[in-house]
Amino acid sequence: MASVTKRLLKELHDIRKEPSTAELASLGPVSDADLLRWRAVLRGPRDTPYAGGFFELLIDIPEQYPIRPPTLTFATPVCHPNVHFDTGEICLDILRTQWSPAWTLASTCLAIHVLLANPEPSSPLNCDAANLLRCGDGLGYQSLVGLYTRMFAYSAQ
Amino acid sequence: MAEMEVDSPQNQPEDGAAGAAGAASATSAAGKTKGPRMEIKKWTSVALWAWDMDMDVCAICRNNNMELCIECQADQGSKDMEECTLAWGICNHAFHVHCITRWLKNRNSCPLDNREWQYQKIGK
Repeated sequence: MASVTKRLLKELHDIRKEPSTAELASLGPVSDADLLRWRAVLRGPRDTPYAGGFFELLIDIPEQYPIRPPTLTFATPVCHPNVHFDTGEICLDILRTQWSPAWTLASTCLAIHVLLANPEPSSPLNCDAANLLRCGDGLGYQSLVGLYTRMFAYSAQ
Repeated sequence: MAEMEVDSPQNQPEDGAAGAAGAASATSAAGKTKGPRMEIKKWTSVALWAWDMDMDVCAICRNNNMELCIECQADQGSKDMEECTLAWGICNHAFHVHCITRWLKNRNSCPLDNREWQYQKIGK
């Protein structure tokens, strides 16, 4: 059995002990046939305009995992400075240059959850959302994000 | 090989004691046979050991540090298996040699604290 498969089975075993948490509604392979493609559903962080939403992530795992990072993209449209609205691409250093094999898929999903609540407008993939924050229009940002959350994320679970 | 005398019950029936003790038997003052009831034929001692460290799982492959790394476990009997030991960084974090070697080709940092990796020692 390839080492990537064994490592993923270990992670799956740990996840099944606690399949749903306050941050993560679900995490697991999309199908039993392919262990290299997972799906996660994040709960929108409390006290943010994402609250109440469910955000689906697709996770593609390379054969060299965990030496190479997984690729995570949002399948649910998300309005966030560091998420591409159309492709779901996520800009986060630990998914690229700062990746470490000590991360797991569950802890990586947690990092995305933290990113939702802590946008970094200086490296935006969504300039409109970032600009609202950069010019200090917190209320505008909250309203815009809340609108998209209600439009797309209330039914994704 | 060692012989050990074990206290025998005082009213041991003659035939039972003789059977258990074999050749080495003694006769008590009361005239009943006494002797070693048990003879130790072989003594195998077992020692357990563990790494003196906090992290008992390799953060890279998630196998226990006492076990082989995940690659060697999958490929038992290979030459590499014999040298599947631990590597310690100056930060005192330990990983399987094979795991940290694979990671360092990517980036020269400790996977756990992100500081620059330098070997402290390899092996026990």
